[in-house]
Amino acid sequence: MPITFKNVAHTYNEGSPFQYAALKNINLDIPEGKITAIIGETGSGKTTLVQHLNALLLPSEGELQILDEKIIAKEKPKNLKSLRKQVGLVFQFPEYQLFEETIAKDIAFGPKNFGASEEEAFAIVKQVMPVVGLDESYMEQSPFDLSGGQKRRVAIAGILAMDPNVLVLDEPTAGLDPQGAKDMMDLFVRMNKEFHKTVLIVTHDMEHVLNYCDEVIVVKKGRIEKQCEVKEFFESLDLLKELRINPPAIIRLRELLIQKGFHIDSSVLNIDDLAKAVANEVKHYE
Amino acid sequence: MNKIHVENLVFSYDKEKNAVDNVSFSIEEGSYTTIIGHNGSGKSTIAKLLIGLLDKDEGHIYVDNEELDYDSVYDIRNKIGIVFQNPDNQFIGATVADDIAFGLENHQIASEKMQNIIEKFAEKVGMIKYLESEPTKLSGGQKQRVAIAGVLAMQPEIIIFDESTSMLDPQGKADINELIQEIHKESNITIISITHDIEEVSKSDHVIVMNDGHIVMNGKPEEILLREKELVKLHLDIPFALKFTNALKKENIHIDSCTTLERVVEELCQLRSKM
Amino acid sequence: MNNVALGKYLPLNSVVHKMDPRAKICAMLIMMIAIFIPAGYTGYMIMGVVIIAVAQLAKLKMNFLWRAMKPMLFMLSFLLLINLIVVRTGNVLFTIGSWSIYSDAISQTLYIVVRLALMIMITTILTATTKPLELTLGIEDLLKPFKVIHVPAHEIAMMISIALRFIPTLIEETQRIMKAQASRGVDMENGKLMDKMKAILSLIVPLFVSAFQRAEELAYAMEARGYIPNRHRTRYKQLKMKGMDYVLLIGCFSILGIIILLSVGNFGLI
Repeated sequence: MPITFKNVAHTYNEGSPFQYAALKNINLDIPEGKITAIIGETGSGKTTLVQHLNALLLPSEGELQILDEKIIAKEKPKNLKSLRKQVGLVFQFPEYQLFEETIAKDIAFGPKNFGASEEEAFAIVKQVMPVVGLDESYMEQSPFDLSGGQKRRVAIAGILAMDPNVLVLDEPTAGLDPQGAKDMMDLFVRMNKEFHKTVLIVTHDMEHVLNYCDEVIVVKKGRIEKQCEVKEFFESLDLLKELRINPPAIIRLRELLIQKGFHIDSSVLNIDDLAKAVANEVKHYE
Repeated sequence: MNKIHVENLVFSYDKEKNAVDNVSFSIEEGSYTTIIGHNGSGKSTIAKLLIGLLDKDEGHIYVDNEELDYDSVYDIRNKIGIVFQNPDNQFIGATVADDIAFGLENHQIASEKMQNIIEKFAEKVGMIKYLESEPTKLSGGQKQRVAIAGVLAMQPEIIIFDESTSMLDPQGKADINELIQEIHKESNITIISITHDIEEVSKSDHVIVMNDGHIVMNGKPEEILLREKELVKLHLDIPFALKFTNALKKENIHIDSCTTLERVVEELCQLRSKM
Repeated sequence: MNNVALGKYLPLNSVVHKMDPRAKICAMLIMMIAIFIPAGYTGYMIMGVVIIAVAQLAKLKMNFLWRAMKPMLFMLSFLLLINLIVVRTGNVLFTIGSWSIYSDAISQTLYIVVRLALMIMITTILTATTKPLELTLGIEDLLKPFKVIHVPAHEIAMMISIALRFIPTLIEETQRIMKAQASRGVDMENGKLMDKMKAILSLIVPLFVSAFQRAEELAYAMEARGYIPNRHRTRYKQLKMKGMDYVLLIGCFSILGIIILLSVGNFGLI
């Protein structure tokens, strides 16, 4: 069940003086069962791109295949509800979508909208809460009494409760402290490895791309600039520089050492390998 | 000389649990102090107490040896500027120029003098071309620059940055960090930055580590950032440079523990030339 | 949203755009008074010509003014219908079955149509040529004399300008929350009444929560930058009356004068 974009374009306010082409001629194959990072500058079209995945936005041109649904420009999509259930989209700062009196009710909101009965929905709630690290004692609490990080967990649980096959996250760690961000990324890795979800993450954090993702899609000015494996992406610094991306610390150290005349292969991506390479080099002088 | 001195400060939002619990510290004039700790550890509460937006329950705050209380709060607030986290919620004016003017209007600066001051500080933060722009047309980083210009225009002696870069994209973060460094270098303004950025901490003069309303570490970053076990226990980031020196140890390469990448490279170059 | 002309600011470069908002607000008030003086069609003709001339000066297209009036069409046709039924004076123009149409019904409706059209044109010219912020400044200054009777002119202006500042932010926020809830299966259009209620709740509650948080943070930011309610502040944007502003006011007063004369003449007092 693939996700493909064929010649997709999206223009906001088409035909008005405020017309703005956010996406232009996008051709894309998103691999299943992997964690894919979507990166690019603010305003490059990342958010517009991911909002096509559950048909919140419809293409102005071209067509999309998302799992079993086909979306064609200028045609009304047929199984909107089933698509939205299969592709769970978590917005930036999702804690601002909570509204119910209790955490359990809020998490159950999605499943109930997609036709689950009261009992079914609450059974799902009980399954999902421990996954995001909230125990059952939280069920009857108001979501508004929680800390920012916990609220975000509840909001994400509300999407996981829909049991989507594809999980799309728009800057899920924005505003969290480093520990909160790490927990969040660990959760998505677990969703991928253990529950076999296809995960797409829009992010600015290159450490996360390097340490948690398999593939990278670079969006620039409404076009796909590059799509490749993470390993390949961090081999060349030219693209990173061109995109004005601050590389992860390991890459910066690697490049600083290369500049000082250390012979280190540019495929070195983890700390132990870099330490080994440096050790070899230093011992070589002995 | 101490610019700020805090003694046994206590504050509680709900009278059940203290958000800031018996905290004492001093901040040197003209220094760059960072405050770290995870969300909810009381960092932002301290910032709001220092500028008198919240009323302390107990303890004392002194700015330039003057105690902050009901009578002195407006005078002291004139010396302190603060830049908050959310760029949208601190943009008050309809345009960039209006926003920079907001503080000047409050300080009853004569209207004729404002244009010059506004232009000077808009220039300083690189926003002179946007004087008539509305906030919806600006990026998060640009809005934060305007906020900084608004603070600088009031000629503060202390500026507090309360996670001012945490909602920005990498370019915005880099821009604002650079601007803060520049302000610190060019003026004698005392800077207090609440942050999660370990790299910023490693470049600062003084770091205060908070946990659960208490100060758990307080000192020079070169020393504190090496206290690996304690930092890990507090779920805080340790500098990548330190992680790397540890990895080198496993390979039997021993260099001094460092907190910055530049130091690591220097140490390794020295080691190589010795051999 | 983009097609609404009534109340929309058009960023053009014209003499009218550069005029002092206070002069423009006063001009509007004077013209409103003139419209309500019964001076017959000659008076309305004069005003119509002047207003259209000002619109031309402001570089507004006739099409734009027409679009501003469109929403009123429904109301006007309704009015015409009522007049046709109620008004039974004047000459019988024609008869449909046993139903007679009187000339006064037509002329009275026409009267109202002309007045409304003039008023809408005047307000549209004002809002299309004056930035919302300038309008607030103008209102603040014009309200100043009423401070004697404790009208908080500055606070009112501050409230209006903050509201104006946050409207786009809140619209953006609304769209975002709607999309987020749509991703959770909310359907704002279809469904049973109960579902719809829930859908609206899922939008309203988060919107309020976020608006309150914004308000709190904004209050902190304002206070931190030295804002103290009720204390005197200076003002960066100063309004200054220039030659054109006086021309506008004198022009408006002259028209008012002519209208009054015409009206007095109509009643045969001279």
